[in-house]
Amino acid sequence: MGLDFVGQGAGETDGNIITTTIDKVVNWGRKNSLWPMPFGTACCAIEMMATLASKFDLSRFGSEAIRFSPRQSDLLIVSGRISIKMMPVLKRIYDQMPDPKWVISMGACASCGGVFDTYTLIQGVDQFIPVDVYIPGCPPRPEDLIDAVIQVQEKITSGASPKGVEAVYE
Amino acid sequence: MSEEKEVEEQSKPLVLEKLEANHADALLAQDESRGTVVVVVRKEQAYAVLEYLKTDPELAYTFLVDVTAVDNSQMESELMQFDYARFMVVYQLYSYHGQCRLRVKVPVHENDLSIPSVTPLWRGANWLERETYDMFGINFEGHPDLRRILMPDDFEGHPLRKDYPLRGRGERERFNFEKQNV
Repeated sequence: MGLDFVGQGAGETDGNIITTTIDKVVNWGRKNSLWPMPFGTACCAIEMMATLASKFDLSRFGSEAIRFSPRQSDLLIVSGRISIKMMPVLKRIYDQMPDPKWVISMGACASCGGVFDTYTLIQGVDQFIPVDVYIPGCPPRPEDLIDAVIQVQEKITSGASPKGVEAVYE
Repeated sequence: MSEEKEVEEQSKPLVLEKLEANHADALLAQDESRGTVVVVVRKEQAYAVLEYLKTDPELAYTFLVDVTAVDNSQMESELMQFDYARFMVVYQLYSYHGQCRLRVKVPVHENDLSIPSVTPLWRGANWLERETYDMFGINFEGHPDLRRILMPDDFEGHPLRKDYPLRGRGERERFNFEKQNV
């Protein structure tokens, strides 16, 4: 977290003053309170619900506060097939989320179309919205989703920009 | 006992007997498929036959299970049998009264893709016919609201036709987010 203890040695302030940077404190807060916007359209959503429920308990990682309004969330979990009719809806929801925002593409269908190589299915949502973490699997287990959330957390800790921000400045 | 059973198997289902008595000129073919009676009906009389099947007190096929269509353009045997009609509109009926199912098929030629809507008989036919229109491009005359139901409104073509490519015509890569009404 980039914490430095000031006053090693002797004196009253010994270990009681902490210096850091504002970015690091902000990132620490963001990391531990990722509010997901669920975009569940298929069986991956069932696994996502299991991840949020008591058995796997995503709240251990500070991400249990599901917001069904994109304006209050900063992590978009695309879990399921996205059809050509649904893609504009997904894009609109992504655009409504406030920066900084991260995207998890959960499962084979969201990441590459999966087995549905047909006229109506988007072959990977990353063609239209920037994706930070991909999860393989059909559907992925809840542990995989937890792993993806932790990867997003690590990305935040490292100070890296979300893919969406990179895309803007490119 | 076995003789009786044989006689019973040979006897015609009631629905076929009644159709032959009342709508003989409409019947193109009759068959049985896995315990379901199948009748092929001329398009001109299709509505009258379906109305008869629903309203006749002995038959009472009051439940319209499904309306769909089949593109027979690559089924040479089917094409030859029904005067090269490309599409076959299929109605699946069920009678609570007789506890039996019935499949009514209607050949539709490609140069005249219209067929009377059965929404006046079964209100549930509304969305089923919209889906058939969406997927096959068959026009149901008299339908109250014949719009696409599954594909986007600006979609071109009818994807369940056999000549529609499986991977589409590039519509899944081609997007105009500003144009589409979300």
